[in-house]
This record gives sequence, C-alpha cells and structure tokens, in this order.
Amino acid sequence: MSENSTSFHAGDWFGIVGAKVQVYLPPSEKPRVAGLWELVDAGADFDEVLDALISGGLRALPAFALLSVDGDAARVVLRGAVSAEFTVAADVVTLDGRDAATWLEQSLSSVSQARLLLQEVEEAVVGLLPGGLVRVAQVDHPAVVEVVALGAGAPLDLSAQSIPEAPVADAGTPYFDAAVAAAPQVVAPPEPVEEPVPAAEPVAPPAEEAEPVDALSAPATEESDWIAAPQPVADPEATDVMPAITDDGPDLMPPLPGALGAAAVPLPDVPPLPPMPEPPLPRNPVPGFPDLPEDEAPAAPASWGPPAEAQPPAGSDHDGQTVTGNWDSSQFQRQHPGIPGQPPAPSVTAQPVARLLFSSGDVVDVDRAILIGRAPEARRFTSTEQPRLVTVPSPNQEISSTHLEVRPGSGADHGTAVVSDLGSTNGTVLVLPGLAPETLQPGVPAQLLPGSVIDLGDGLTIQVTSP
Amino acid sequence: MVHLNCGAASHVGLVRSANQDAYLASSPVFVVADGMGGHQGGEVASAIVVEEFARLVADGFDATDGIGAVARVLAIAQERIAKHVVEQQADGTGYYAGTTVAAALLCADQEGPKWLLANLGDSRIYKVHQGRFEQVSVDHSVVQELVESGTIDAAAAATHPERHVITRALSAAGRTDPDYFLLPLASAERLLICSDGVSGMVDGDTLGALIREVPDPRDAAEAVVAAALRGGGEDNATAIVVDVVGWSESDSQARRSEPVSLEEKLGALP
Repeated sequence: MSENSTSFHAGDWFGIVGAKVQVYLPPSEKPRVAGLWELVDAGADFDEVLDALISGGLRALPAFALLSVDGDAARVVLRGAVSAEFTVAADVVTLDGRDAATWLEQSLSSVSQARLLLQEVEEAVVGLLPGGLVRVAQVDHPAVVEVVALGAGAPLDLSAQSIPEAPVADAGTPYFDAAVAAAPQVVAPPEPVEEPVPAAEPVAPPAEEAEPVDALSAPATEESDWIAAPQPVADPEATDVMPAITDDGPDLMPPLPGALGAAAVPLPDVPPLPPMPEPPLPRNPVPGFPDLPEDEAPAAPASWGPPAEAQPPAGSDHDGQTVTGNWDSSQFQRQHPGIPGQPPAPSVTAQPVARLLFSSGDVVDVDRAILIGRAPEARRFTSTEQPRLVTVPSPNQEISSTHLEVRPGSGADHGTAVVSDLGSTNGTVLVLPGLAPETLQPGVPAQLLPGSVIDLGDGLTIQVTSP
Repeated sequence: MVHLNCGAASHVGLVRSANQDAYLASSPVFVVADGMGGHQGGEVASAIVVEEFARLVADGFDATDGIGAVARVLAIAQERIAKHVVEQQADGTGYYAGTTVAAALLCADQEGPKWLLANLGDSRIYKVHQGRFEQVSVDHSVVQELVESGTIDAAAAATHPERHVITRALSAAGRTDPDYFLLPLASAERLLICSDGVSGMVDGDTLGALIREVPDPRDAAEAVVAAALRGGGEDNATAIVVDVVGWSESDSQARRSEPVSLEEKLGALP
C-alpha cells in the first residue's frame, strides 16, 4: 500500500506503517509495537500481520486497526474503539470497531479516501506519514491538509489544490514541513525508515477490476497521465519509496513517488504486478460433506447420530402390536459424513485436534463432539461417541440451549475441528484468521483453524487454538 | 443432591390377554420395556431387562459412566434372552423373544447431574421443559425411518400399516445398540417414559396436556394409562413419570418439596 500519501494527526496511538499494511495500536499496547514493526517492515502481508496481532488471543488486544490500501482497494480490520470512514464513489462508508464483538472487517473497492479515527484529535499538526513508527490520533489517506484551528473548516483535500506534479510538501501549506513530515514523531524506530529505495520493488499492484476507460486511466507510465488524474496527491513513500504504477482506473489515486520533497518521479516501464488475488471469500469449507442425501447431512443437525442400520431380528411376532419385520436393511442405511470410500474420522480421537478457549473461562479440548449452549443436550449418539456438553452463561438468553457443535473433522477436514451451528435462534458468527466474519449456515460445518474466533452472541466468544 | 419423585402405571389393555410390558421405577433408574414374542417370549424378555436394571440399582454404578453401565446391563440381558430362546427353540421352531428398552438414568458429567436416556425400539421418552412437552427419543421403527427419509410425513406415520414394525430391539440377534441422549437436569422438569401402547393410543397433544396438567407424578402416570385405555387400549400400556423436584446442595431443601405421603394422599392420615 501506501503508494499514495498518508497524513496524520499526532496522538497517542502507535502507528506501524509498512509497505503493505498499516497497524494502529492503542497506547497500552506499546510492548507489541517493536515486534509488529519487525514483521511489518519485513513485508508481511495483511493476513500475516493479523495472525500476529491475535496470536496472543483476541481478548488481550482491546483495540486495533489494520489497514491496507492498494490502488483504490482498501481492506481494513477494526476492533474496539476505532472507526474508519471510506469515501467510495460518492458515498461515505463509516465503520466502527465497536459494532462487532470480535472485530469488524471490510474490503472495499473504488475507495478515493480513507480515514482512520483512532482517538480525539487534539493537535492540529498534520504530518505526512512516512512509514515506520509514529504516534497518531487520526490518519487520512490520501493526505489532507487541515486548517490550523480545529473545527474551523473541513479537511481540504490536496487534490483540490491542483498540485499535480508537486509533492505534497510543496502544497503551500505551512503544515507540510518536510522536516516534520520526514520523520515526525517517530518513536524510536528499530530501523531507519526513510531509506528511499530506487524503484526496485513496485509494490502497488493494480486494482484488478480497474479497466482503462479513457486516456486518463491508461497505465500511469507517463507523467501526464497522473497529472491529469482526478486526485493527484503526493506520495511520501515509506520504507520503499515506490510510486504507484500502472493501470489505475480513473478514480484511483495517482501515484506519486516517494520521500517528502523528492521530485515526482514517474516510473516508466515498471511492469504491472500481477493482480492480487481476491482475499478468499469466507466460505464454509465443507469438503467433507459432499452431497449427503440422508439425514446425516447437514440439513439435520440435531439428528446426527449413528447410522441406523435396520436389521430384522430373527423373526417377527404379532403378540402385542409391536412387531419386528422383514425389510431390506440397506434401505435405511445412512451415510457418515466424509469422503466416500474413505473411513470416517473416529468420533472420539486419540489426540485432540483443537482447543477451545471460552470467554467464560472454560478450556475444552476437541477430541470428540462438543455441544455448546445455554443448556446443551446431546441427542442420539452411540456408546462410542459420548459427546461432551459445555454449558455457557447467557444472561440475555441470546444463546440457544444447544447452539453449536464443534467436533473433529472427517475426510478433508481430518485433523482439524469443524464447527456447525445447530439451528440456533440468533446464529453464530465465525471469524477465521484474516477473513471477514461470516454467519454460519445452520447445519453446514465450517473448518476451524487456529486463531479462529466463534461468536455465539451475548458476549460469549470461543477462541480456537492448537491443542 | 438431586431429588426425584416418580409414579408408574401399567395396564394389559382391552385387547391383549397378557401384559408383556415391564417397568422399573427405582431412583435413579427408570425403565420401560415392551416385550415381543409369542409363548411368553415377550414377557420373559422384558422381565429380564427390568431385572438386570434392578440389579444395577442394587449394586450401584458409576454415575460418571452411565453409558458403560447401560451397555453392560443390555449385554447381560441380551445374553440371558439368547439363552432363553435357545432353550425354548429346543422343542420347536420360530420362537422369538425380544423387547424394547427405554431407560432414564440420573448420571453426571464434568458439569454436574444429567439425564442419560437410552432407547432401543419404539418405546418413548418425552420431556417437559418450561411447560413444553417434547419427544426426546427417536423410534427405531420403519415409519420413523420413512419419515426421516422424507418418504412420508408425521401424519401418515400415525396410520401407516407398518407403524408397529420396529428396526431395533433387544433380542438374541439383530441390531441391539441403543441411541443415547444426554440432557441437563434443568432442561427436563418431568420425564415421561412409555410403551407404544400409550403413544399409539393417545395423540401427542392429549398426552402433552395430561403430562403438563397433572401435578403429582403418580396421578399423571395413571392418567396417561387411563387415556390409553380410553383411546382403544389395543396394546399393553405402561407409563412412568419422573419429576426432578429439586436439586440443591442440601438434603433438607429437597425434602421440603417432597409430595404428600401415600397414606396422606389416600386419606388414611389427616
């Protein structure tokens, strides 16, 4: 990211700004900063950084913001008291981390402006975000210039000032002091940040959906292209002083090169990077459940149980009305979930495949089916299955009595745990590491990876870790 | 300390000459067995099951391994039934003895007391929770299989000609593994365990109304069996009603909710 300029208001939050991602942590999380910087500076991508953030457990991290801007595509994860505003086409999308119990994730395209609101802005100082570590209160992307007196005016977009070629520092405002902006308030960066690197690693992959519609949207290999682009903004590049490249769409922020005060260097002949793959859509990975026709299929979550194989007792008798009869036992054969032709995973595994950390305090290893709810019941199991019931508090009764099942996976999910919502009233939200929260489809199992968080509502979450 | 109150009733019905149902209501174990088989085969089979469960109560069992206890009881009972069948078959052919089993045991897991239910065949276990009456066990019957496969609906099942044909039973041969159910005590204030002579003669709504409305479990069991007779009494009808009247740390609290004694109830005491 960060092909374009980013400006900030000084504050108490830690901003860890790398070439691909920006992480913002509240002042209380200072101990994490150095480690995250290492990671971010090493070029870790969004998902890797997210993994690192939550590796110690989500509860230990009350708030954070994780942002990547890639051309006109932005991806953001917000947790806790942080909010973000994105200008998407003519609309402003406002996201607030407090709206989600775990975190809020959003991927947006056609973003022309992004703003992260981390804390109350007290200082009017606006600097350009150079990369590295900074203490910030608010971040704007692309850079904006604000009037000195807070509240005295709306943010002024630099692009409105028609400074196509000039770097932001040249914007004619007193706030863009190159000295300040170059390394303003850098909190002991572990490594030097301002190392202008010649155009060696083009970082900005083109927004893949952006198609040239006219000359302006042609690949920005000529200066004139981005001069005429709608929102020319300076780009103080962070660790990699890399201008954005190539085929930005008409509403993309134009690339501007690197360090503050540096001349805009158009980059001819920088080959476009291959389009980034879309972040994988959150899906219920259910490879182990291919088209089960029978009642073992996901559609009947409450009746998971042994294959009921009908077998006629030796004879039938009619004394009393209850009789046993003769029938074709294969008629009632039920299929176990799993890959046809492969043995199903055992209902009880020798080694747990995952560990569940309940926000209520319970710690439960997944070596069998675990049924979770306000007053969970296990129905129709065999003597070898013996599920475990875990009762969780639900002061507002938002959690269903038998809400959720976690069990060792079978087939392609073998060796991991899978979670199924058992048709709960209020549903279950699953957050896989690095993916947007998804609401589980009742009865459709989803694979759980370490780092996943299951949200049952009523303030109850379950973290999934390795056993 | 969990305290259970229970009542049980059984009737031969209006059509059958013998009652092949048997039951055990001996806290913390409650069992209904509906025997099948001519020449007293059914009576023997159901009696054997009840005897073995009674032995379990007398000997005691590990409440944290209720499933193991039930499995052992059923294995022993099956062995005895098989032996009985062999003895009877010596002087003839076609002798069959089998029985359904519907059992409720007070057990415990990591979290505390639980109801462990075991079902084999088409005797049924219902529960009442917060005024809602619900069938917990799932019949091992042909019609149930047809319902689950979507072939017929529940209404058609009630009148299906094969509605009495079961797919599992405790007998010398065939499939004899029960389904188990584990319920928190708090999710079942009352259990009804009954043979199909009850559930086949009384529709679910009527049964639910009776079970919810009659407060004393002894009266409730009698009322349920009486309703089965009113409904036709075509089969042996047996019902056990168990109430969880309190589960608290102390005995004294539980005793307070104990019902009036039988003498009081029948008017022998003031």
